[in-house]
Amino acid sequence: MPERSPENTLGGQPLLERVCVPVLLGAQNADGGWGYRNGGQSAVEPTSWVLLALKEVEESTSREVEKPRTVQLLNFSTPQLLNSFNAGVRWLRESQLSNGSWPSFAGQPRGCWVTAAASLALYTHRDSPDRVARGLHWLVETWPVEGRLWRRIGAKLLRRDRVVRMDLSLRGWSWTPGTASWVEPTSCALIAFHHIPQELHPRGAVRRRRLAERMLYDRMCPGGGWNSGNPLVYGAAGVPRIGPTVWALLALQDYRDRPETRGSLDWLEQAYSQIQGPGSLALAHLCLLLYNRPVPALEPSLAALNSNNQFLGDTLVAAWAAMALGGIPRWLSPEIRG
Amino acid sequence: MSAHNNSLMPSFRRPPSCVAIRRAPNYQIDLAALLDETLREFDLKVQGISVLLKPNFVEPDPQGVINTHPALVAAARECFLRMGARSVIVAEGPGHERDTEGILETNRLRHYLGPLAGKFVDLNLDDVRLVPTRTRASGVKELYLPRTVLEAGFVVSMPKLKTHHWAGVTLSLKNMFGIVPGNCYGWPKNALHWAGLTQSILDINSTVRPDFAIVDGIVGMEGNGPLQGDAKPCGLLVAGNDPVAVDATCARIMGLVPERIDYLAQAGLLLGHLKRENIRELGEAPESVRTCFAVLDEFKRLRSEHAHS
Repeated sequence: MPERSPENTLGGQPLLERVCVPVLLGAQNADGGWGYRNGGQSAVEPTSWVLLALKEVEESTSREVEKPRTVQLLNFSTPQLLNSFNAGVRWLRESQLSNGSWPSFAGQPRGCWVTAAASLALYTHRDSPDRVARGLHWLVETWPVEGRLWRRIGAKLLRRDRVVRMDLSLRGWSWTPGTASWVEPTSCALIAFHHIPQELHPRGAVRRRRLAERMLYDRMCPGGGWNSGNPLVYGAAGVPRIGPTVWALLALQDYRDRPETRGSLDWLEQAYSQIQGPGSLALAHLCLLLYNRPVPALEPSLAALNSNNQFLGDTLVAAWAAMALGGIPRWLSPEIRG
Repeated sequence: MSAHNNSLMPSFRRPPSCVAIRRAPNYQIDLAALLDETLREFDLKVQGISVLLKPNFVEPDPQGVINTHPALVAAARECFLRMGARSVIVAEGPGHERDTEGILETNRLRHYLGPLAGKFVDLNLDDVRLVPTRTRASGVKELYLPRTVLEAGFVVSMPKLKTHHWAGVTLSLKNMFGIVPGNCYGWPKNALHWAGLTQSILDINSTVRPDFAIVDGIVGMEGNGPLQGDAKPCGLLVAGNDPVAVDATCARIMGLVPERIDYLAQAGLLLGHLKRENIRELGEAPESVRTCFAVLDEFKRLRSEHAHS
């Protein structure tokens, strides 16, 4: 993991300590969860990513205690973090539905894409392997609808192939049940399966993963990179976007030598300097680090973006920024895989 | 709550609607002055009310042809504040792109509004409430909707004048798709596409019918809209107190027949006025500013005879 260097500090304090960690710790609700914004209703997705981010912070802090201090240690205590973890993990555990999935907000009746992030967060906190396994089981059992035979026949009859170009037999994961595969939920599910050990995977997981990986390559924009999942509409090539491209690349790190992967990384590397959203910048930085591509120091650019709009108070952005500032997180590490 | 003050009423019981068409050659003119003059013709009751402006911010758009222009959004904000609104929030939930701040920055909204914290709400990440839909055209009985929208006293839909490769056109009614929160439905809000695009547009607008609409027709988009079409400079602003009447008027300006656009035809039954005789037109007449838009082959049937000639 890259060490923090003096140029990664602004005003004497690194952004991680000055902004990200206080925002994350300060945004925890009394019920233990986190909202998408400070004070917002607790929701599964931000709670999962904040737990993952704080875990990275805690582990890097523990490592720093044992070595000479080049920068001021993070200004919070391990017990404070542990209390925060315990409450967050408890909230996450309690929001799981009986079928193993997680809904967006506690109390909603149907599970959705956030199940992947929640499973990953619980696993990373070494909590409730049975719950993690049930989350993965729901993912394997829940299919998007576009590849069903009658849908494919309908699409042929309606000549949908003139409108969008994709192989409907290749399926990944949808945002919500009863809908089609899209790049980001597919990638998140693949990342969860990648990191969580195979003994917690249900039967059929390998087949789902391979199919989803093929689906991602099928949905790649001509020339590399991904958008939400429409590579070609009415003959016009889809324009790749940072977020979907990063998620897809994070999910496909086992295929780093494939030309499509390399082409997409080239696109990301070129687009990097134009990124104007802090969440995208943090994720793109992580992605390029993971693939050992040259990438400029993150902190100055991220600090500048934070000074624009304070990340719009977005908890997810603060979590992704915290992770990216710390280097490659464990849940992405190529050495640790399911 | 804005959502319940209006909406469903058969056309014969609804008073005539009012739509203003103004020439606005570019985004550098004093849009606030033009809009102020226009809005004052409508006797809008916004004093002490929280106003929500819902522009169409879809993707990073350095060329300025996809999204509602931020100069117009800033002008509208200034006007409603001048008219005594308690607060004016700009709010949007982009449909495909999670990086809302990236869209806003590329779109230069901060350049026009100043720092966005406290002025902009990302509806994709807002707290939500489950609300029964007031129509069931799509079969969806309840929708999670953002608290900021449900608590707004006056909702203004601010679309760009564009063609749309699934719906024919995207105007003030289709723009309301953006209030549906990504944190419950994803990016895109695919559940609503599967429930039926036309039907979902109706259900969303019957549940939260915009109180007013301001369409950015200064530069629109034709052809393979709403993302990959060509810029269509029209030099127009269209505003009105009935989103159906505003959209119908825009369609006429684009050289299309509103009755042939599925969702507009259906919206004309209960949500507002489609027929021209029920719309009081202010400013320019639609035929004097008609600018026929290129459409995909699938939508050539929407064209009026004027457009063919």
